[in-house]
Amino acid sequence: MLDEAWFAWTLIAGMGLVAFFTRAVFVLPGSHLRLPATAERVLRYAPAAALMAIVVPDLALVHGTLSISIENPRLVAGLVAFALAAGTRSILATIVGGMTVLLLVRSLAG
Amino acid sequence: MTLREPGSALREGALASAPLLVGIVPWGVVAGVAMVSAGLTQAQAVAMSLLVFAGSAQLAVLPLLIAKAPLWLMCATALVVNLRYVIYSAVLAPHFEHLSRPWRALLSYITVDGTFALFVGKYRPEDAKPHKHWFFLGGSLVMWAGWQISSCVGIFAGALIPPSWSLEFAATLALIAVLVPLLFDRAVVCGALAAGAVALAAAKWPLNLGLLAAIAAGVAVGLAVARLGAPRAGRG
Repeated sequence: MLDEAWFAWTLIAGMGLVAFFTRAVFVLPGSHLRLPATAERVLRYAPAAALMAIVVPDLALVHGTLSISIENPRLVAGLVAFALAAGTRSILATIVGGMTVLLLVRSLAG
Repeated sequence: MTLREPGSALREGALASAPLLVGIVPWGVVAGVAMVSAGLTQAQAVAMSLLVFAGSAQLAVLPLLIAKAPLWLMCATALVVNLRYVIYSAVLAPHFEHLSRPWRALLSYITVDGTFALFVGKYRPEDAKPHKHWFFLGGSLVMWAGWQISSCVGIFAGALIPPSWSLEFAATLALIAVLVPLLFDRAVVCGALAAGAVALAAAKWPLNLGLLAAIAAGVAVGLAVARLGAPRAGRG
């Protein structure tokens, strides 16, 4: 238990440093540092790739097995959420709509 | 228009950012609930909200915490999800270079997507408006307070919500809502799809290393598609 607490606090400190570093890296030195063009290109693709890599397994895997089916409530709700996010650009509409579909599909699937 | 007083710039920034609270508040509540259900104590969840103050990084790390992934991988994931802030920092640096170091540290800590976008839309780096950082601070403080308060609601009230509601899924939905606006061109979409496919294929890799493979694949595909598309489509 003590180990777990130590681990969580270290994680929080580490993430805090990472979050501050990414925001301060150019602002804090205050010099005329420029971002190299190659770095800028990589930075364009990494965040969307990371978020998609986290979201997709959460929708398509059920207990570790691929489940592409309209009976997979998380997959159906996730796809609806993608459509809602694209259509409304609203976090609230995406969350409320996605949760509604999740509970609906789950109740229909029994 | 000139901003004569810091106070009026502060207020102007706060008012301009206030409508963005509609987006940040439900997200904060969800993050608060998700942190506690991932096993953090209430004190740890509050500390994470205050110290990290980056919703997508927090939500992205929680599945790894549940899966008992190694510490370095969770910090690396937070870094990758937060990489957009490196771009913001590069854009903001010329605006703030005349300020003192404590000011620059404060404005760095409090940078958020919405207020950044408003600020960049309103001011050019060469604008010699002496109080433009007060506009940035006012907007950012509104977002900061909205995030901290809504996170605390999730942290302390989330325990009252029955597990059968599957509210942890709301964290995934919130990530989708953040992800979709990032998919602004074909190369980013192709990269993200490749990352999703590799993440599925590599889901059983030890230590969640499939996540890093997926990100690398996504960046590679994004760069390749952009290179292929560039000669015909031109730049921008």
